[in-house]
Amino acid sequence: MAEELPLEVKTLPAFERSLEPGIREARLLAPPWVRSLGKLTMEVRIEGWRFPVPVENPTISPSVKPTRPRLYEPEKKSRRAGLPKSRTRLKPPGDAVVLKERLLYLLQPPLETLFSGKQVTLPFQPYPYQMEGIAFLMPRSAALLADEMGLGKTMQTILALRLLFNGGLIQRALLVCPKPLVFNWARELRTWAADLPFEVIGGDADARQATWRISNCPLKVVNYEILTRDAALVADERVHFDVVVLDEAQRIKNRESKTAEVVCSIQRSRSWALTGTPIENRPEDLINIFSFVDRERIPANTPTRQLPKLTGDCILRRTKDDVLSDLPAKTIRDAFLELTPAQRDSYVLAEKEGVVRLNSLGATITVQHVFELIMRLKQICNFDPLTGQSAKLEQLQADLAEVADSGRKAIVFSQWVQPLEILADNLASLGALQFHGKIPAKQRPALLERFKNDPHKHVLLMSYGTGSVGLNLQFTNYVFLFDRWWNPAVEDQAINRAHRIGQKEPVFVTRFVTQGTIENRIADILENKRQLFAELLEQNGPPPSLGLTEEDIFSLFDIQARPKRMAA
Amino acid sequence: MANLATAPWNLGFLTIVQEPAGYLGGYLVTNQWGRPLEFRLSTAVLPNRVQQILYGDTLQPYICGELIGKTLIDKTVTQAHVIVTDREIVLPLRQLLATPVGWIDEREWAGVSERENVLQTHPLFPQDQRMLADLEERLGDAFDLTEPFARIREAISEARKMGVTSRG
Repeated sequence: MAEELPLEVKTLPAFERSLEPGIREARLLAPPWVRSLGKLTMEVRIEGWRFPVPVENPTISPSVKPTRPRLYEPEKKSRRAGLPKSRTRLKPPGDAVVLKERLLYLLQPPLETLFSGKQVTLPFQPYPYQMEGIAFLMPRSAALLADEMGLGKTMQTILALRLLFNGGLIQRALLVCPKPLVFNWARELRTWAADLPFEVIGGDADARQATWRISNCPLKVVNYEILTRDAALVADERVHFDVVVLDEAQRIKNRESKTAEVVCSIQRSRSWALTGTPIENRPEDLINIFSFVDRERIPANTPTRQLPKLTGDCILRRTKDDVLSDLPAKTIRDAFLELTPAQRDSYVLAEKEGVVRLNSLGATITVQHVFELIMRLKQICNFDPLTGQSAKLEQLQADLAEVADSGRKAIVFSQWVQPLEILADNLASLGALQFHGKIPAKQRPALLERFKNDPHKHVLLMSYGTGSVGLNLQFTNYVFLFDRWWNPAVEDQAINRAHRIGQKEPVFVTRFVTQGTIENRIADILENKRQLFAELLEQNGPPPSLGLTEEDIFSLFDIQARPKRMAA
Repeated sequence: MANLATAPWNLGFLTIVQEPAGYLGGYLVTNQWGRPLEFRLSTAVLPNRVQQILYGDTLQPYICGELIGKTLIDKTVTQAHVIVTDREIVLPLRQLLATPVGWIDEREWAGVSERENVLQTHPLFPQDQRMLADLEERLGDAFDLTEPFARIREAISEARKMGVTSRG
């Protein structure tokens, strides 16, 4: 039989209370658990500059017919096939601190692109050094172009102005020059900037006032004398120019002069000065010219040795030696001059009386009669018989001063001895020597030696008929034809006394031509014949004569009379 | 769109340069003779590492085209009738513009000896080819289409000296 075990029920304290779960917070990830790795969007800011709008479709003045100029005659017209090989870029000057102004010039196209395109047409391509000169002038508000005479300061200035006008960068400009050169500038403007309207300030007081104050013509040309006379008009605050150009700037080297005072008083944004003298060798003159170019650039009492540093960025001077490789062997230019008032009065009277007399001769008239009148008028173009005034002499003196300052030598030709004697008196300070029929043959070799070797002898005054084959004047760089000869071959022979094959240095020939006179008319006929000669030479051969024919001579005047055989 | 045969027209030149500071854009609008009318310059854009990774291969085209190129053109007041670029990567910008875009490879241009079409257009816009061919014809041999880019780079360098191109 199994025994029953007693059961004892005990309570377990662990079970006396109900089960409750314990909750403890467990941090697995710190909020927020998505991190940004950086900005995904990109931003850009833009800076910008707008520039003046260039002139579109500039018009050529209808009164000017572009003609082949006689001023610059490089041996060959530059031919550009395809893209320009060199690029002349504008560079902002050192004193241009505003970024927009610097960008304006940096972003201009190369000059070669502008000149080879259709907007700016030229009769000839400038030489590389002339491109550099234009690029020097264009961005500058203060500039002194001091190239040696004959290197084309006029042309460089005109093209720089033209590009500034075309680019919309300037609207008004004033050119100041010596009185004898006004016509020359006018002619050069028509040659190099036929699309740029200009007017010459002159006439009576009312006319000048209207031109100064009212006229909207973009370019005005005035001579120093009229400018000085119109000082009060110029000082008017309504008269302002974007550019003022001074030709022959050494005119204002005397700061106390009225001329300098008036010039410096012109209200302007840019000041350009042109001179052929080696200005860097003349500190005093340099300082005075800079009173116009940039008054504040040279502080008072600046030591001379500091001048180059202060002015270097504003001055550009090249000599023939510097640009030898660019230059042709021979450069011929015509200097068109206006007769002085006294000369003009004498000329008009002589021509009028002369033509009346010729017409009165009827069929008995001969070429010789006409020659006599031509000769008389040509002499008046040289010197006024009553007063001795001479526009040519004035200009020649200025040109030869530059030649002498540059240490160079020049020959001056005339077909008569008397003008040479007058010139000798007036050019004595330049060591002028005479070489013509009145000089005994025995003295001539020594005279030529003196001209060659004496550094103070800068000028040789020579007649066309003098000299012989073998006359060697290759050390001469400048030739001036005070009056011209009939036959171009005779002129060439004269010129070639300086310019010969083997001549290492280029020769600059200046032919004086008085405006609106018989010289002008003869020059036109001869030029047409030269062109015809050049064309015929390419085709058939040379024409029989290059001089003036009988008909040419009679056509120079309004003469109805003709010799009997011509009339038949 | 203006008739290129008769009316005056403007050219736009767009380039992007890549420097340590980032991508910089320059846009020059000129008249038909190459004279500057307006110039726009961007600040430098330097993508960070995340952007480089996330944008991947689309980064450069995006920065050069849409970000810099289009912004430059949109901000320019003077409208160009034709846009030329020297960066092929900018060419897709054409899809965002109504203006023909041509790419000129400077190396190809240097080797050109005869008149031929050297401007390449976007393949989706074949009609641009005709317009750009007319442009080259009109400009003639004297206008070097690569030359304005040299000006732009010089202008960028000048602006950098004056601190204009700092990162935004």
